[in-house]
Amino acid sequence: MKDKVIDKLVSIAGEDWVIQDLDKIEGYLYDETPEPASPKAVEEVVVVKPKDSEEISAVMELANEQGVPVIPRGAGTGLCGAAIPTEPAIILSLERLNDIKDLDEDNLMVTCEAGVPLESLFEAVDETDHLFFPPHPGDEGAQVGGLVVENAGGARAVKYGVMRNYVKGMEVVLPTGEEVQLGGKVLKNNTGYDLMHLLMGSEGTLGIITEVTLRLYPEAKETATLLVPFENRHDAMSAVPEVLKEGHVPLALEYVERKLIEESAEHLGKSWPAEEGEAFLILIITGKNEEEIFDKSETIVEVFTENGALEPLFAQRRKEQESILDIRSNIYTALEEETTDILDVTVPPAEVGNLMDEIEDLAEEYNTNIPVYGHAADGNVHPHIMNVNGEAPEYFEDLKDEIYETALDLGGVITGEHGIGETRIKNLPMALSEEERVLMGKIKEVFDPNGVLNPGKAV
Amino acid sequence: MSDVMVFAENNGNKIHPVSYELLGKGKELADKLGGELTAALLSGTSLPAGELIERGADRVYRGTAERLAEPIESSYREVLVQVIEEANPEVILIGATNFGRSLAPRVAMALDTSLTADCTGLDIDEEKNFVQIRPAFSGNILAHIKSRTSPQLATVRYRVFPEAGIEEGKEGEVIDVELSLGGEDTKQVEVLEERRGKKVNLEDAEVVVAAGRGLKKEEDFELIEDLASFFDGKVGASRPLVDDGWIGRAHQVGYSGRRVKPRIYIACGISGQSQHLAGMKDSDMIIAINSDPSAPIFDYADYGLVGDLYEVVPELTRQLKGE
Amino acid sequence: MPEPTYIVLIKQVPDMDEVEFDYEEGRVDRSSAPLEPNPFDLNALEEAVKYKEELGGEVLAISMGPKQAESTLKDAIARGADEGILLHGREFAGSDTWATSLALAHAIETAGSCDIIFAGEKTVDGDTGQVGPEVAEYLDIPHVAFVSDVTKRGEKEIQVESETWGATYLKSMNLPGLITVTKDVNEPRLPSFKDKQRARKAEITTWGIDDISIDPDNLGVTGSPTRVANMEVPPPEERESLILREDPGNSVNQLLEKLDLGREN
Repeated sequence: MKDKVIDKLVSIAGEDWVIQDLDKIEGYLYDETPEPASPKAVEEVVVVKPKDSEEISAVMELANEQGVPVIPRGAGTGLCGAAIPTEPAIILSLERLNDIKDLDEDNLMVTCEAGVPLESLFEAVDETDHLFFPPHPGDEGAQVGGLVVENAGGARAVKYGVMRNYVKGMEVVLPTGEEVQLGGKVLKNNTGYDLMHLLMGSEGTLGIITEVTLRLYPEAKETATLLVPFENRHDAMSAVPEVLKEGHVPLALEYVERKLIEESAEHLGKSWPAEEGEAFLILIITGKNEEEIFDKSETIVEVFTENGALEPLFAQRRKEQESILDIRSNIYTALEEETTDILDVTVPPAEVGNLMDEIEDLAEEYNTNIPVYGHAADGNVHPHIMNVNGEAPEYFEDLKDEIYETALDLGGVITGEHGIGETRIKNLPMALSEEERVLMGKIKEVFDPNGVLNPGKAV
Repeated sequence: MSDVMVFAENNGNKIHPVSYELLGKGKELADKLGGELTAALLSGTSLPAGELIERGADRVYRGTAERLAEPIESSYREVLVQVIEEANPEVILIGATNFGRSLAPRVAMALDTSLTADCTGLDIDEEKNFVQIRPAFSGNILAHIKSRTSPQLATVRYRVFPEAGIEEGKEGEVIDVELSLGGEDTKQVEVLEERRGKKVNLEDAEVVVAAGRGLKKEEDFELIEDLASFFDGKVGASRPLVDDGWIGRAHQVGYSGRRVKPRIYIACGISGQSQHLAGMKDSDMIIAINSDPSAPIFDYADYGLVGDLYEVVPELTRQLKGE
Repeated sequence: MPEPTYIVLIKQVPDMDEVEFDYEEGRVDRSSAPLEPNPFDLNALEEAVKYKEELGGEVLAISMGPKQAESTLKDAIARGADEGILLHGREFAGSDTWATSLALAHAIETAGSCDIIFAGEKTVDGDTGQVGPEVAEYLDIPHVAFVSDVTKRGEKEIQVESETWGATYLKSMNLPGLITVTKDVNEPRLPSFKDKQRARKAEITTWGIDDISIDPDNLGVTGSPTRVANMEVPPPEERESLILREDPGNSVNQLLEKLDLGREN
């Protein structure tokens, strides 16, 4: 990195906040993409930690002037390499923008800076005693800005939807350094093109989000977690549409399998509470009192039992419910070491059973094991392609393509929540038409004429 | 009867240092009560009483019995009651170790008298009442407790009070007590085996000393262990060190590891990624040691020491040990 | 030979992560948090149920507390207890650990013969850990505290690992006896939805002072050897955020001055 750039960064952010020492930047080079699928990070990078949008703006101006790429970075919990530097760059960490600015209980909205960890947001909202922020994409260390630019999904999206459904306003530093404010505390807004929605899911290529306003929901007075065991994958998955058809919308409806969930539990020093069954559905039921929870659960349990479920378990204590969600959220962490790649294909909800069956056929065809778990009611699951002898199997790309094709054939998409980032760029042509890709390229050019913001990612 | 008696917990080889802390506090209480400070040194094999005296005891009641070589509460309860009846103290202080917390209630019930657990503050008020201050509700409240029976027992938390200093050459009385303990046949609990290697249970630790990427080699965990052992604390680690196999999963602190809330958390060479913060930011007190002044951990720390852990950690251990 | 009886001591406590404190009034706002079984007591219950599964017998859960503690006993039934008994009455209110132990011991005697008593190592609200050993002393039976593993379940003796003296000791105890368990001893099972529904309708036996033949003078505030003279609820401390950037010797020195290890509250 040129001395001139470093000097300028120091004058913008201060000496303490510009880091070049390889020892200290190690934690900023990679994200959670499994190692075999991950691009290799270049080490000629400088990490800068600006304290506000003004400093971010100055960094962007410098980047344009010097032609140096800037990679915005949250907590690094992404799974598609979107935050990994593949050429010498300035890594711009948003960690110091961690203020929750306004918890507006009248409008049910919270405004916070981009670097606020999800866990802190949960805590702040919880303190109101009556409000709730539903999304739970997994790692609670993830930062709000990252959740927005990746349009994160996760477990608690069945009832209220993915990240996109919550964002009502944002402040953004454009790639060219200007600051803009989009949207606001409004629930309806038809003023021109919705640039805000363009930013969501843009994976740090169209602007640096510095602040967001998010919609909150009233907290359910009571919740319970139903753990429903099945003999096998097919039984579990076929039961899901039956429950949904009856009009039940749980807060979450997750699918897991014994081997994976036990590994994850062990990883956390816990144990998986269900003794029988090989495949499990986890449902979070909400209601206004205990009576309602029991009534709802009773009808849901009935439908499941008619569809082959074994004896469902019931968690009512907060700690026991959290523990189940925790174990579920850490499956990936437990599997990561042996994983070549984690996919997040998504199909129409009623097709998820077919998707699972076809993945099973593929596993047989490739003579491998494809662990699958995920968000059953959203049609969004996570097949893992596993290492063979500690490295990516030679059929990795072929198998991945086949899984993608399967999802597309069922009317689905190749990624439902992780995004394109770096690792799926090569798969874009199968998923998007030429016209779509050209349009996207042009949009990128309009926002970032010098191509300095996270170049080579997402489009 | 205005004496204060300290139970000198030992495992037959070594007197537990909490006993020296109790002597310091006990002396202060005895002075206010106008009584003497005594110690009960009960053990499987005879232990020297000199250090208890040099650290403030006026009298040491010393007794040995073979059965005391093992941590069996009912044996200790028999002989401690015997010594209490002989020495007739007003206040009895016992360390709030696992053994102390298990023994004291048996003694209190046997004597039909009061017991306050896990005290962090002790005083004598103007009316000569023994005031015992103890945290409850996970340390969120402090209860001031008084007793209406006598003698008054309290267990006292370790590493809250400083150890009594040594006054070389100080004299005191050693009373050798003939212990009357039932024969083997009266034993209801038997120790079959002593197993080393305590379970790692970070969640319950009072003090956690954790290392992160700042640690260069696996062997250097020794530095971390040294510091942790001063507090009788546990060793933690951030995820990268666990992923590298330097230390077991049970030591991992973070969102994908254990969540801890100790009284003191010392983060050594941990930058404070949110993954890690999720597991420790609710600790009562956080001390961070890191050479990078921009490390996010400093935002969450009560005390941040900017510096190389290889210099700061040994220095901290050294100064804590009063070397 | 009669079936063995296992008694579990259970206390209803507020969810400690949710409970709020009134710093001005200096009190705990018990209504701020949902009530649940003391977490360590669930480990005790699980151990009792395991004993029953291995050797047969009955599990009896006993609690002392207000009427609403019935829900905790019902939870215990959902998790495998056969019966719940609640000690309830105004005479019991305000008891310290000594008086509580006396009441529980009387209830255990009233219940008839008992082979093993299981208790948690402590409760999360009172945090004393005294009731278990005090009950054992009153009943004149042996106890082992801080049990982290049960290695052998017998009719005449139990083998356990106990954490004490800075190590783990494998001990055997003659029965009848009492153990207090740590969280390590097991992972309490989740009740099935079916058992949970069944337990909601279960009858809980309530015993007052006459049922357990206890002298009310030994109970409550009057019967307790200790009393709470006053209670402080110190407001949560803001983090001091002191950054020390001097050489190690000086920084550490300053830190230790701040820490004041000999600090009394």
